[in-house]
Amino acid sequence: MTTMKSNLHPSTEMLEKFVSGDLSVGVNLAISAHVEMCDHCKSAIQQIELRTADQWTNAESSSPAVYQADTASMIDSIIATPQLKEPIEEESEVGSIHMLDRSVKLPKVLAKAASEGLVWKQLGAGISQADVKIDEEAHCSFLYMKPGSQTPVHKHQGTETTLVLDGSMTDELGEYGKSDFIFRTNNDTHQPRTEDGCLCFSVLDSPLTFTKGLARLLNPINKLRFQRAVGSRVS
Amino acid sequence: MTTLNATMDHMHMGNLASKAEPASKAASTSSRPLTQSDTDSDEKLLLDVGNHQSREAFNKLFERFSNKIFAHGMKITRNEQLSKDLVQEAMMTVWQKAPLYNSDRGNVQSWIFTLTRNRCFDMLRKQKRQPLCVSADDIWPAGMEDSESLVERDQGSLAVEFSNIERFLTQLPEAQQAVVEKVYLLNLTHEEAAADLEIPLGTLKSRLRLAMGKLRQLIGTSE
Ligand SMILES: [Zn+2]
Repeated sequence: MTTMKSNLHPSTEMLEKFVSGDLSVGVNLAISAHVEMCDHCKSAIQQIELRTADQWTNAESSSPAVYQADTASMIDSIIATPQLKEPIEEESEVGSIHMLDRSVKLPKVLAKAASEGLVWKQLGAGISQADVKIDEEAHCSFLYMKPGSQTPVHKHQGTETTLVLDGSMTDELGEYGKSDFIFRTNNDTHQPRTEDGCLCFSVLDSPLTFTKGLARLLNPINKLRFQRAVGSRVS
Repeated sequence: MTTLNATMDHMHMGNLASKAEPASKAASTSSRPLTQSDTDSDEKLLLDVGNHQSREAFNKLFERFSNKIFAHGMKITRNEQLSKDLVQEAMMTVWQKAPLYNSDRGNVQSWIFTLTRNRCFDMLRKQKRQPLCVSADDIWPAGMEDSESLVERDQGSLAVEFSNIERFLTQLPEAQQAVVEKVYLLNLTHEEAAADLEIPLGTLKSRLRLAMGKLRQLIGTSE
């Protein structure tokens, strides 16, 4: 995958949480896919890894439970296992998504996430969605907007992470292109639209609320859909 | 494919240059404070584990890191048993992957930290019975330059140009020259060359790959 200049990146704080392993799986996927396309964040992450590891190594143990175990026998069993001389090579399947009018090559991590197959459903107004059931706490999906389409005005109750994978879109706050990473917190109301079509990966940690017109009728359905995607939890 | 590799080489060259390493050993200096003697640095210990399967060195690494790994487990999982399992899993990975450690990409601490984070992530997902189609190593891939093994593939074409190679060789960073000389002029195996230069096998392979990429570039542009 060719790397390219990207305008919108995850914040430093998010990259730090990404490195220390504190984020949900869905957001991890979005950041990882962005980093694969972004040299800037790639090198930022190397620096953060060094810093984080340094803090980790030098931290006084604050954990009340001190690690106790029969270390000698554990070490025995470990060094009885063979060492690796070569990294384990995985045959990388080519991960592309075929849309009506285009075929998009996905970042590796998203290709993996989609490897069990995507089922597209129409949300209306030229927008389709395919869920990725991978995170019990967030709703992850691929969203495809046909050229010339626009989503109903909506509001977020939680956070919405969007990674643009192909094409472009605009909303009240700006214009976004391939590899742009957009993070929105609650109470941002917006209405993305696209001229030339747009494929995104989206992570929501709570359902969208549509705020205008007939689309409001979708709200109860949308909540239901979210609950289904998230799993068996009942509100 | 070719453009991709060229970009990676270029990136990495930049890194090496900015580190201004004086000799081939410089890159294997760990970031531990100088108070720790060189023979007992994390780097030296990991080298002894990877190149010589040293039990004593592994014991010391275990002593140094097991509590920290346990603390990370407690922070993320809040479960004592899982955190103990994490110590075993992470230290097992340290043992098994020691030969693959690449000192040019980070230090021992960051290497052990990231593999701890990754094992912890996978353990927790397994425990929660979440789908496993994406693993920690997919989310946090090790150095991107490690994904291609170009060296073997390009040996032939380079051999043809051998008369010119020495001239090009001097244009490589010293650390890369040393690696190329051991492997191609002295015909040592990768393992022998790594032990000889006292660098991890993973570092050797990475430098070799970068050197061959650079040589290929130099040969290409000279014609
Ligand atoms: Zn970025």
